[in-house]
Amino acid sequence: MVARRPAHKPAPQSADERLLVQAAQSDPANFDALYELHFERVYYFLSRRVHDRATAEDLTSEVFHKALANLATYEWRGAPFAAWLFRIASNALADQHKRASREQPSSDNEQNPDHHPDLSSPDPEAIDYHARLFRLVDHLPAVQRQVIRERFVEQRSIREIAGRLKKTEGAIKQLQFRALQSLREQMEGGHA
Amino acid sequence: MPKRSPAVQLDRAIEAMLAALQPQPEPNPSPALAQLMPIARALRDLPRPDFKAALKSDLQRRISMNEAATPAPESSKAAHFRRPNFPNIAPYFLVNGAPQFIDFLVSAFEGTERMRVPRPDGSIMHAEVTIGNSVIEMGDANEQYPQRSMTTHLYVPDADATYARALEAGATPIYAPTDEHPSGDRWGEAKDPFGNTWYIATRKSAVSAPEGFLTVQPYLHLRNAHDMIPFIEAAFGARATGVHKSPDGIVRHATIEIAGATFEIDEASGESQLTQSYLHVYVPDTDAVYAQAVRAGATGVTPPSNAPYGDRAAAVDDPFGNTWFLATYLGAGQP
Repeated sequence: MVARRPAHKPAPQSADERLLVQAAQSDPANFDALYELHFERVYYFLSRRVHDRATAEDLTSEVFHKALANLATYEWRGAPFAAWLFRIASNALADQHKRASREQPSSDNEQNPDHHPDLSSPDPEAIDYHARLFRLVDHLPAVQRQVIRERFVEQRSIREIAGRLKKTEGAIKQLQFRALQSLREQMEGGHA
Repeated sequence: MPKRSPAVQLDRAIEAMLAALQPQPEPNPSPALAQLMPIARALRDLPRPDFKAALKSDLQRRISMNEAATPAPESSKAAHFRRPNFPNIAPYFLVNGAPQFIDFLVSAFEGTERMRVPRPDGSIMHAEVTIGNSVIEMGDANEQYPQRSMTTHLYVPDADATYARALEAGATPIYAPTDEHPSGDRWGEAKDPFGNTWYIATRKSAVSAPEGFLTVQPYLHLRNAHDMIPFIEAAFGARATGVHKSPDGIVRHATIEIAGATFEIDEASGESQLTQSYLHVYVPDTDAVYAQAVRAGATGVTPPSNAPYGDRAAAVDDPFGNTWFLATYLGAGQP
């Protein structure tokens, strides 16, 4: 599925991003724009590397707070700003792993490779694909958006969602189906 | 077995995916199933929209709080209307036991007493203590100006050391400095023996500017803080430089600048109990600001007059219960 995506961010965007970074460095109130641009990327990067949503959220929060605090030290050297964020994220993952190991020193974490943090390089294509998909959810019709969020984020059953939205279970399944179809069409259409 | 609709087939596959179960094979799979399941799998990592909004809000709050600590521009610090060595909006503490309060400030915050004007009965009419690069003023409370519990935000080089000294000097701990404060600063809180709260912070990093922050910022917890902003803009020509609101419009933090000096506000709630403060602010023209403030809804307390210490001075109460001592420096030697 990822292979369908066009190549990674085209070069002209880097100039825009550089301006956004400079604007945030001169006035941190402009950090919002960088946050909006990269939130989904950082979240997805971390979410794939930890085992639960709460940890992904804690680490995402840590990454953006550190990025904001250290923005003045960031120097543009041609690499995307996201690369800097992923480096902070990788460090946050490593630190989190160390903390977890200290808290449970007697566990078999060290022997179990599954418990080591995944510090492999981010796959920019997969990250962009997911970030784009997550943002498209925001643009679904309100009721479809709600069904998607309740189903995939809250992991509610169709019956629960039907009760909350005062609709039949069949109607919720249809809404879910139409939402996914719409997302697929937009992803293939390349709009974001 | 009748063929299930594509929507039902899709939901069965999603249900199995979410429960981490092997899906039952569909006897007559819809082509849509193979097309949509990759999207469904990707949506498992969909972030919570509330989290995205909350983190954004945290970051904005942190930016707003950092702006609070940014020094006033050099030009305004040297403004002619402000008494020399008076860069900040000073919290004016009227306490029962001003001499002891001065001792506390000296011991707890390494303050330096720079002025003391006693009354004949030995009580203190006016005193000034410098802390870092800022000024705190005080006097003994009286019938007209009773003691009030105020909150002050201090930026110090080492929050832990200052916090420890404050406790040694008689303050009661609220909480010890921690790195977990939403401002991003190392931050602890303590209450002095006079009922005032002190936010003791050390910057862990510089977002806006690397050095030169004002040490003292009055911090007002208000009821209907959102109404303070238009009032203070109209009354004192203030400027809100960083306003962070919750989605329902409650002011979580704002930095307000008057004539180049700043203070902070937020909505009183929980541990941040409503404060009513005394504040001393230098403005370019006390008479004009006094008239403007009264037009905006303030209550005149003392009309403008030339004070013996060389200021054009006046006082007003704002609608939020705070008293503002307005002043314009007339220059050395001018009564």
